Amino acid sequence: MEVLNDFYRVAENPYEYSRELKKSGKRIIGYFCSYTPEEIISASGVHPIRLFGTGGDITLADSHLQPYCCSLVRGALEEALEGRLDFLDGTVFPHTCDSIQRLSDIWRLNTNFGFFADVVLPVKLNTESSREYFADILKKFRLDLERGLGVTITDDKLKTAITRYNNIRRSLKALYEMHSKEPGILSGRDLWAVTRASMIMERDDLLVKLSLLKEALKKGGRSGKSEGKKRLVLAGSVCDHPNVYTIIEDSGGVVVWDDLCTGSRYFEGTIEENGNPVESIAARYAERLVCPAKHLSNTARGDNIVRIVKKHDAGGVVFLLLKFCDPHDFDYPYMKEFLDRENIPSMLLEVEDSLPSEAQLKTRFETFIHML
Amino acid sequence: MNNDSIITAGVDIGSTASKALIMRAEDVLSFVIGPSSVNPARTAETVFADSCEKAGIEKDEVRYIIGTGYGRAKVLFADENVSEISCHAAGAHHLMPDVRTVIDIGGQDCKAISIDDNGRLRNFAMNDKCAAGTGRFIEMMSRILEVTVEEMGNLDEQSSSPVVISNVCSVFAESEVINLVNEDIKVEDIIKGLHRSLTNRVAVIVNRVGLRETITVTGGVAKNAGVIRALNEKLGIEIKTFDNSMDPQIVGALGAAVLAKKKV
Repeated sequence: MEVLNDFYRVAENPYEYSRELKKSGKRIIGYFCSYTPEEIISASGVHPIRLFGTGGDITLADSHLQPYCCSLVRGALEEALEGRLDFLDGTVFPHTCDSIQRLSDIWRLNTNFGFFADVVLPVKLNTESSREYFADILKKFRLDLERGLGVTITDDKLKTAITRYNNIRRSLKALYEMHSKEPGILSGRDLWAVTRASMIMERDDLLVKLSLLKEALKKGGRSGKSEGKKRLVLAGSVCDHPNVYTIIEDSGGVVVWDDLCTGSRYFEGTIEENGNPVESIAARYAERLVCPAKHLSNTARGDNIVRIVKKHDAGGVVFLLLKFCDPHDFDYPYMKEFLDRENIPSMLLEVEDSLPSEAQLKTRFETFIHML
Repeated sequence: MNNDSIITAGVDIGSTASKALIMRAEDVLSFVIGPSSVNPARTAETVFADSCEKAGIEKDEVRYIIGTGYGRAKVLFADENVSEISCHAAGAHHLMPDVRTVIDIGGQDCKAISIDDNGRLRNFAMNDKCAAGTGRFIEMMSRILEVTVEEMGNLDEQSSSPVVISNVCSVFAESEVINLVNEDIKVEDIIKGLHRSLTNRVAVIVNRVGLRETITVTGGVAKNAGVIRALNEKLGIEIKTFDNSMDPQIVGALGAAVLAKKKV
């Protein structure tokens, strides 16, 4: 499956890829979190790339941020201050958790990437007024982009972008479903690379590669064996740790689905293609699988994790939480309660930019999988 | 060969100590505890060979060997590897069928293990990467206080006004202890404070799996009577200890041998 190499190349060297793209004349905007209305950025002709933390040490960022900020926020600032994001023409901050909000201020004052926007999304998503507000905010974002970048974003361009993103989301979901049905066709690390690259790669090129991959999988993919492996669901914020999938597989398990910001929460939910484009985009973001920094209903998140486990015939859930991620930490007991009620075993793993030693992780995963 | 004469072994390569145990049917024939080294594969062979010799058997008489502990992948001659959490649960349940919570305090980590009526694992929790709440903490402090690890376990009984160690982090706690020494605080009062500090960390982990009696402690630190006393006080219950013939540090290797028996 040669096409996998393309995904790995982008997933593992996103900056190198971005610099090449920049050389070809593309302008690039970095964004945080899956609540960013990428469709509107894409319609502006500028290329959106998702920013993750850092794989390296954090030194410069710590003089701006408290140590109780998560490693994603500290790491992203470190990358900016170290000059590793020099290809950016701007950055977009959607209004989600406290740390991202405050990072936005610090970023604006300490970096200089040109375009800058806060997209102040509503927190409560289940009221009529919040829907209206959501659409208004996206209209403002469209204007901000037009003014800031000197472009015109027509409805037609928005509709093209909506179709593009619907196709990307459907393709990612289809891949996840193929993998859930036959986990041997792709490793967890492969799927991680594909999903991560999807937030970085030029999106039309991405669609071509995704369909090539789908064809390759129909022919059997990696044709690995997955009988006897315990089926697991990974839940949390972002998973920037491909080793987690490998260690789980070495311990006798396999991740068949997830509830992650860099996974199903990114691709679940498509956009109505025939309505007013901005309002349709707003509707998708208000209705999509909710993250703990937003509120849809008292049971939305708990019901969803149970539904995922049942639908994918999983034996247990691994919560992968970033240290100091308050929204997810506060939500964890609530999520666990939903699982406990259904007698679904779960384990909690707190990580930062770097994982704990592999030996310790293996002990935890092996024991958990042995317990199922 | 009938069931009564099947010989199995457990080899537990921990962060600080390496253990091997030989079992025939229900009986422990021998066990050996030695220090871990930078060459875990060789250490595993040594403790296994020594325990065979002690049991008076040849190595090839052992039908099934399970490796466990951090170095389990380095027990190259083992038939299988099983995580030490499963092994401590199996070992403690074998010795104490009514046990429901096992606290394993080893050299570099601490685990609380909840087991069901059939001895199966229900749930577990373990400390993060830091040394608070582990044997390493006791070792570091014994060095500063110039007492042996064994002495640490009993000196606290002479304490009349134990100190409160406020730092969770072992490295900060070390500086705190140095300050206390310089303030002429009695060693036994510091030691009792340290035992309490360690058990506070352990209690956090125990509470995460839920305290269910009967409760016992395994691992090297279980040999420290002062820690057991502090745990009783902290958890408000009586921890059940193994009888003198069974060293709590060998329970992981015992569990491995017990699980091995189920494989033949």
